[in-house]
Amino acid sequence: MKLHEDTARIQDLLGEYCRTGEDTEIPGVTPGRVHHYRRLVYNVVRDTMDSAYPITLAALGEEHWDLLVQDFFSSGIPQTPQIWKLPFEFYRYHASQETGSRIRKPYLEDLLYFEWLEIEVHTMPDRPYPDFRKHGNIFNDRLAINPEYEIIRLEYPVHLHAVKEATDLKGDYFVLIFRSPETGYVQFLNLSVLNTYIFTRLVEDGVPLNELKGDIASVSGIESGKYLDDALEKFIGDLMKKKLILGFLKN
Amino acid sequence: MEGKVGIGLRRDIADVILKSKELSPDFLEIVPENWMGIGGQWNRIRKAAVEKYPITCHGLSLSIGSAEELDWNFIRDLKSFLDENNVRIFSEHLSYTKSQNAHLYDLLPIPFRRDAVDHVVDRIKRVQETLERPLAIENVSYYTPVAAEMTEIEFISEIVERADCKLLLDVNNVYVNAFNHKYDAKEYIGKLPLDKVEYIHMAGHEQVEPDLIIDTHGQPIIDPVYDLFEWTIQRMDPVPVLLERDYNFDELDQLQSELAHLKSIIKKHWKVSYESSTGKISSAEPSGVSSAEPSGVHVTTK
Ligand SMILES: [Fe+2]
Repeated sequence: MKLHEDTARIQDLLGEYCRTGEDTEIPGVTPGRVHHYRRLVYNVVRDTMDSAYPITLAALGEEHWDLLVQDFFSSGIPQTPQIWKLPFEFYRYHASQETGSRIRKPYLEDLLYFEWLEIEVHTMPDRPYPDFRKHGNIFNDRLAINPEYEIIRLEYPVHLHAVKEATDLKGDYFVLIFRSPETGYVQFLNLSVLNTYIFTRLVEDGVPLNELKGDIASVSGIESGKYLDDALEKFIGDLMKKKLILGFLKN
Repeated sequence: MEGKVGIGLRRDIADVILKSKELSPDFLEIVPENWMGIGGQWNRIRKAAVEKYPITCHGLSLSIGSAEELDWNFIRDLKSFLDENNVRIFSEHLSYTKSQNAHLYDLLPIPFRRDAVDHVVDRIKRVQETLERPLAIENVSYYTPVAAEMTEIEFISEIVERADCKLLLDVNNVYVNAFNHKYDAKEYIGKLPLDKVEYIHMAGHEQVEPDLIIDTHGQPIIDPVYDLFEWTIQRMDPVPVLLERDYNFDELDQLQSELAHLKSIIKKHWKVSYESSTGKISSAEPSGVSSAEPSGVHVTTK
């Protein structure tokens, strides 16, 4: 490296001041000017977090939220060159620090994860769509599934309730977050454990629903028959309406 | 693109720019970091932009002045992005945005020192080799020098000459720096290697203290900056000119009048015709940008 140690150290002094806001002696600067750098740098990061996590910000309140952002920025060592991905590092940092339990907001990790997933699904690279036709039989034909989705498991139902209520409803929640093929907008669906099982099997096995009915019946304890068929028809119909199931595979 | 006037395709305004009949930029500038590796709606908008307009790219995260090694994975991805979008002009800032292995997402001033010149020259050369295209390095606004051992003009001129790179001359930044550090803007520009200028930025700024201007890209360009621009372009060959605006997009007709103002100055001194000189510029409505409203509940548009 051609940069002398002395120059590198001076650059790092300014960098560290911008990250931490802790006053430090930086040689050869104009008095009263350096603080603008801390302000400008921090504002960019704070704005990025504010727009990524509006629900968490509202739930924690301004002051508390700011402490979380400051903590992350001074100790988290941002790695991504793409600032729109920084909220993911923020989530990972606070999950690894177990911030939620430290500040007695047990829902924190789930809420950050849920809010981040909206961005991730909205921006993730395009996935190849299957060849499909619009008409077919939902039991006998293989279903064509919109590939642009993620399923996450949450302990607190932050996708359904305000955080105060969600805190008292600890359990197992599955959320399917997906991107609309037409608009690119993101929607989510709360899935029951059974529906999560059905959807996952449809994706993984790639077989017609009929072939899964036996397994679904034994997992759910619902006997094969009209009642189960009606429930499956309703579930699949709903996914089709939301364009999560696009139609029927051509081959 | 020489003498043409463009505008930045910022996400907040991307859809509006592509659909607008009021705004007529000749080209668009894209910040690659904001569009690389993205799918969905933004990808459709990027594709529509590339179909309709010539594109320049203006990077943010290269951190040419940092002590740590360059991020070669990032630079390779960047090259693919530039190739994919047919980008000839790629510019970056003469600053550092990374320190102690942490990204800072803003432009910090490199100390004007001889070892920093050597360091930056070496890094620009290696980046140009990997990108297989010249790098246009931008004079940045700075609010304080840091441990300087030479002047800003010596620093930047020597880097551009020795790295054999191009210069992105941000005229507003010269104005801002001349004001903040009390030097003569014309004298500064007169000493720059103007034959190396590949691209010009024009922008607005905000005065926050009696003796301090911050480069915000949120305000209209002020007259003294237009004057400095006019003085400058008489001393150099035509290059593309960008109206750099990152915030406050409320009034499109105001942006359009700034584009028109820039063109009227350019026409006085450079031989440029603004009748759609490329088929691309005059092409019809962008395709592939969905204008449909989202359906269903729980919709977010982040
Ligand atoms: Fe600029």
